[in-house]
Amino acid sequence: MEFVSPEGLRLDGRRPLEMRQLRAEIGAVSKADGSAVFEMGNTKVIAAVYGPREVENRAQQMNDQALVRCEYTMANFSTGDRVRKPKGDRRSTEISMVIRQTMEACIMTHLMPRSQIDIFVQVLQADGGTRSACINAATLALADAGIPMRDLVTSCSAGYLNTTPLLDLNYVEDSAGGPDVTVGYLPKLDKVTLLQMDSKLPLDTFESVMQLAIEGCKAVANYLREVLLENTKQLEYRRGS
Amino acid sequence: MREIELSLNQTQKIRLQRALDRLQSLSSKSTSNSSVTVADTIPVNDEDGILKGHGTLEVDSEVVATVCGVVERVNKLIYVRSLRSRYKPETGDIVVGRVVEVAQKRWRIEINSNQDAVLMLSSVTLPDGIQRRRTPIDELNMRNIFVENDVISAEVRNGQHDGIWQLHARSNKYGKLDRGQLIAVPTYLVKRRKQHFHQLDKYGVLLILGCNGYVWVGELTEAKDSMEVDDVNESEKSNAKSSDQTKLEENYTALETRENICRIANAVRVLSILGFSITVEVILEMCELSILLNLDIHDMLGAEFCVTVAEKEAVRRSL
Amino acid sequence: MLQSKSFVKKTKGGKVVKVVREHYLRDDIYCGASICKTCDSSVARLSSDASTIIIVDTNVVLNQIDLLENSAIDEVVVLSVVLEEVKNKNLSVYNRLRTLCSNSQRKFFVFSNEHHKETYVKAMVNESPNDRNDRAIRVATQWYQKHLGSAVRVLMITNDRENKRKANEEGISAETVESYVKSLGQPALLDLLARPASEDVVMDSVEDLRPSKRKVIYSEHKPMSEITTGLHRGIYHQGKLRVNRYNPFEAYVGSESIGDEIVIHGRTNMNRAFDGDVVAVELFPQDQWHAEKSRIADEEDEEDESVHLVQSSADDAPRSTNVQGSSADTTPSRPSGCVVGVIKRNWHSYCGSLEPMPMPAGAGGIAHALFVSKDRRIPKIRIQTRQLGNLLDKRIVVAVDSWDRLSRYPSGHYVQTIGEIGDRETETEVVLIENDINSRPFSSQVLACLPPLPWSVSAEHLSDPNREDLRHLQVFSVDPPGCRDIDDALHCTLLPNGNFAVGVHIADVTNFVHPGTPLDDEASQRGTSVYLVERRIDMLPKPLTEDICSLRSDVERLAFSVIWEITPQADIISSRFTKSVIKSCAAMSYVEAQARMDDSRLVDPLTTDLRNMNVLAKIMRQRRIDRGALTLASAEVKFQIDTETHDPLDIGMYQIREANQMVEEFMLAANVSVAEKVLKHFPFCSMLRRHPTPTREMLEPLLRTAAAVGLDLDVSSSKALADSLDRAVGNDPYFNKLIRILATRCMSQAVYFCSGDLSPPEYLHYGLAAPLYTHFTSPIRRYADVVIHRLLAASIGISKLPAIFQDRPQLTSIADNLNYRHRNAQMAGRASVELHTLIYFRKRPTDTEARIVKIRSNGFIVFVPKYGIEGPVYLTARGDNGSGEWLVDEQHQQVKKADSSICYNVLQMVRIHMEVVEPQPNRPKLELTLTE
Repeated sequence: MEFVSPEGLRLDGRRPLEMRQLRAEIGAVSKADGSAVFEMGNTKVIAAVYGPREVENRAQQMNDQALVRCEYTMANFSTGDRVRKPKGDRRSTEISMVIRQTMEACIMTHLMPRSQIDIFVQVLQADGGTRSACINAATLALADAGIPMRDLVTSCSAGYLNTTPLLDLNYVEDSAGGPDVTVGYLPKLDKVTLLQMDSKLPLDTFESVMQLAIEGCKAVANYLREVLLENTKQLEYRRGS
Repeated sequence: MREIELSLNQTQKIRLQRALDRLQSLSSKSTSNSSVTVADTIPVNDEDGILKGHGTLEVDSEVVATVCGVVERVNKLIYVRSLRSRYKPETGDIVVGRVVEVAQKRWRIEINSNQDAVLMLSSVTLPDGIQRRRTPIDELNMRNIFVENDVISAEVRNGQHDGIWQLHARSNKYGKLDRGQLIAVPTYLVKRRKQHFHQLDKYGVLLILGCNGYVWVGELTEAKDSMEVDDVNESEKSNAKSSDQTKLEENYTALETRENICRIANAVRVLSILGFSITVEVILEMCELSILLNLDIHDMLGAEFCVTVAEKEAVRRSL
Repeated sequence: MLQSKSFVKKTKGGKVVKVVREHYLRDDIYCGASICKTCDSSVARLSSDASTIIIVDTNVVLNQIDLLENSAIDEVVVLSVVLEEVKNKNLSVYNRLRTLCSNSQRKFFVFSNEHHKETYVKAMVNESPNDRNDRAIRVATQWYQKHLGSAVRVLMITNDRENKRKANEEGISAETVESYVKSLGQPALLDLLARPASEDVVMDSVEDLRPSKRKVIYSEHKPMSEITTGLHRGIYHQGKLRVNRYNPFEAYVGSESIGDEIVIHGRTNMNRAFDGDVVAVELFPQDQWHAEKSRIADEEDEEDESVHLVQSSADDAPRSTNVQGSSADTTPSRPSGCVVGVIKRNWHSYCGSLEPMPMPAGAGGIAHALFVSKDRRIPKIRIQTRQLGNLLDKRIVVAVDSWDRLSRYPSGHYVQTIGEIGDRETETEVVLIENDINSRPFSSQVLACLPPLPWSVSAEHLSDPNREDLRHLQVFSVDPPGCRDIDDALHCTLLPNGNFAVGVHIADVTNFVHPGTPLDDEASQRGTSVYLVERRIDMLPKPLTEDICSLRSDVERLAFSVIWEITPQADIISSRFTKSVIKSCAAMSYVEAQARMDDSRLVDPLTTDLRNMNVLAKIMRQRRIDRGALTLASAEVKFQIDTETHDPLDIGMYQIREANQMVEEFMLAANVSVAEKVLKHFPFCSMLRRHPTPTREMLEPLLRTAAAVGLDLDVSSSKALADSLDRAVGNDPYFNKLIRILATRCMSQAVYFCSGDLSPPEYLHYGLAAPLYTHFTSPIRRYADVVIHRLLAASIGISKLPAIFQDRPQLTSIADNLNYRHRNAQMAGRASVELHTLIYFRKRPTDTEARIVKIRSNGFIVFVPKYGIEGPVYLTARGDNGSGEWLVDEQHQQVKKADSSICYNVLQMVRIHMEVVEPQPNRPKLELTLTE
């Protein structure tokens, strides 16, 4: 199938190196300590963070660092066909773990010993790149909850179809079965904290595709930063001195 | 962007926006542009001997923020005052909390912090008001003082090396709170002040602005002693379960007072929604305003009142 | 820059699924006109002095692609909405349009109107997708006119009446194709116009030639929705229709749903389906499966068998070979049915000629004619032409437009003229076109990939650590005489320990053909070189084929070498693969090599090597045969061509010598070694060659024939078959070969495949009795070998594996293409031989002996060993359907006269007369008659 037309346009009208439209909103769940909605095009994810708070299960309490937990779910209405999504299936367990590990890498857990941080992410609408969107949403929610982090971890995917590296695959492109590289990236520290790939790629192509995904992460980071800064300023001026 | 969650019509939107813009211009006048987000570099003058405080991290000899907030500089100390984070206890803070567990010689109190705080049996005034050693009998009767889910007010005593904070309630003004409402607001909206207990005699209401973001609005009981009496009554009542007519009357709160409690509680809620700093002055002002506008209590949470408050706030701050 | 528009659509499939897709609208899509000042003109395709810019509607593209391909039409803007619609309706037209758009000679520009901010239109409520697309075209046209101003006329061409009317209302200049072409003033272009189906009424004139045919001939196709539900519920069966090559009135539909082939008898049941169409078939009740058989006779103008070359494998023949007549013994379980709808058309253009007809009175006017395709599977096609007189004696190409249920034949339009009928060049061209062989010269981009000439081995090659210097070895090549693309060479040295070091050196083509280059793409497309009788169509450009890669004698060449250590008992002890530099000392022909070996006086080193190798080869060959490899025979013929006229001078069977077998043996061994090596390293992405084990059913005709002559063949395994073939020695010397030829044609062809697609037991090469096999030894003329070279290079670690190998579907598609090209090349080769046979016998009526290979009710099929051809011999006059005079005995495979006076048995030798006759002008054909 043709994913990039000879005119250089993808199926949805983007060019290969373009991302989908980003939108972020902080504070979507009023009861949570921090929450955010993050959209990449039609992929829409909500994240809520509770904590740091008392550890629910004392046995899991750690004396030197905080316990980070994550739960990923997909809303029943998130995909085209409305099916009941069983909780705790392999896929969501895997993604939960991926998000948890990625976030754990940037949260300064040692500052909050004997406490627990819960991250809940739910996909409201799925159109490819849910993993990335979840990580970005979780980052925003954590920042909103005022949890100290080393860096803003951001994520973006890139693929390789029709011998062209493509940034930020949507569902159609994702389901083509081609290689799909998801990168989690710390922009300030210039470090990759998550790297996943479906399918196979030769090494040199892989590098360029990964680099593209990193560029995508940087763009996401810039956007998140803007949103967070604006949010902070607003909170501050509203509160007054 | 955090949106204010209200359903506004077009004019209200414009009015609110105008008021917020006003606030923005006011604040940018006073405070320099010192907001940072996670991983922002905090500019440091090259002078040696900076002290890095909370919310900062040194990366490649740069000072980097680890939370979103406002950079504060006190002499050599540089720290980031985070907004919207959980309560960080400081000795002497007055807090409102909820009992989650009755344990050995102590109560565990949830105070919206990283961990639950501890209130030792030895740190409370006993019902009889006498200072003495705590006997095993007292331990057995702990539940007569506070049980699970009770709301109490207390003062932060000290932090232990393991990060758990101790409270004390060794004053008549601290203790169990009842007949009122507990409202949780973001911590950063309550500022530390001299006075956190406010007896609003005009309304017959006791307002406690807990430093941990828990605000108590309850009936103002007459004398300090009555609180103890209350406690006694309470315990007796629970023990005997005798539903005496007289005691029932003592438990009765006048309708007017209840309305006042709600009015004040709603004022707190509106401020919380708008993200304005919560002080007793503003609360009182809002109550008066709502009475002046002849608003029903529930209408206080409506869009119109919020917008009006925002406009008033803008005027107030510009003074 | 981005604007997001989400829209909701329903998709096909059983249930309704809501699909939400993003649709970004942009402001950086340019108009492609070089006069435009606002747009980026670096991508502009439309010339600056164009007075008119044409925007075509979808129906115009779909129906008039032949017109668009004509260079008279230019300055065309193709809208993305049009492209999309074309793609959905007809992929082959889409591909042709894409080729046009990417052709730098033509001024076709693709405008992505669907993603342009100002030309995107949203479907309105109650607006059909078609109307919406029409509106999109109008909006885009309007935008162009506004954008480019009054300097240029933007013309919309549409044949949709409604669309044109609306366009005119909106002030857009719009015309129909006909009026536009007329305005160009080139009458020849008018012939290229396809006639839409609605105009069919005008076609009465042709129908009138056949009285009383103006009625509904075919039943209506079921609507698509009904077919879909029918398929779902198992009433209908979907499959690709394959028309019997030897009887166009019989077709087969391979259906997965019933796991068998469905026979379709007669054109009425085929219901306007073409060969290759994907159709939906309804089965007849079981009791009618027989009854349908007799219907063939009802069909008018039954065509007779023509003389053709012997088939080489079972693939091109229908599964059951008893085609007609032999009604008694038809396998009773063949389901039959009729076509109820065509799911996907496989219409393309066809080569052929016009049926002879008298010139109409008004010369130069429009005439209707019937076109007869060379491919017998295709029905006659009605066309309309203004140049009838011109076309009557020409080979022409015609495309199909529509097939109305009222007309017996589909209607089409003229596309191009190839040349005069019977002319050798023309006919060769026809062969190439029919087999989809690209004989165009290589493009400049492809040629740009060649190394500069003259090329020679440089110091760089010699110093390459991955390349061994083997110039000291005495390497030689043995090939057919006159061979210029020498891709293999050999050497053989005696080692001190008594073993032999034997090397097979293959031209290092991949050193010059790099993946991803235009050269590689072209080679991959062509797949193989095509050998016709008088010319060769190369896969790679001539400098590579004949010079740089060709391992000619006395020049240094790059090679990829397989070097074995072989014991005198011909056991391979070790094998080694390396790139190398070699210098061949002799390029011999088979005859020369044979002569050297046979001449006992010669004792020079070269001859010794040859003899050593021959000894080894003989042992290896014997071992292979013992393992069960089949010695199959094919009836290859060889022409002697007049160097001046290129006409054939002599014709004869190809003679196989020991030298051939020797070279072949080492090539086989090299291929097997490489296949093992490559598969070990890349178990999932190797390209191998397999030869499927023939099913008993496929061998049925062979068994029946053998049984008739009292021969018992054991087909339980390749070993058993090989043994019983060896035993099959009849009373005359040619008998064994004949049986082998018959056996060969029962088998399917070997095919390339991607190792990841099948499980290891399926890798088997039946004919060679090798568990693994591939093609490594002819990279100059086969692309598969190029692929294998790359794999081998990667497996020995001297180069990286190209990205393509990671992509299994693409690898599979390459393998499929290679199989397709390989088959076509063989077919073309055979067609070319047939053509030359015809030319040869035109002036030389000959008497010769022939063998009966198949019995028919009205005659038999004979095989002429000397010329390798096969054809029918009629015992009765045409049209006379046997009338009981001749009886067929299926059991003994014989036909006898009713009074038993004469009897013909299968495999019996008969004497025949061969002569070219012309029953119709310009239609020469070879006729075989009995001489007794």
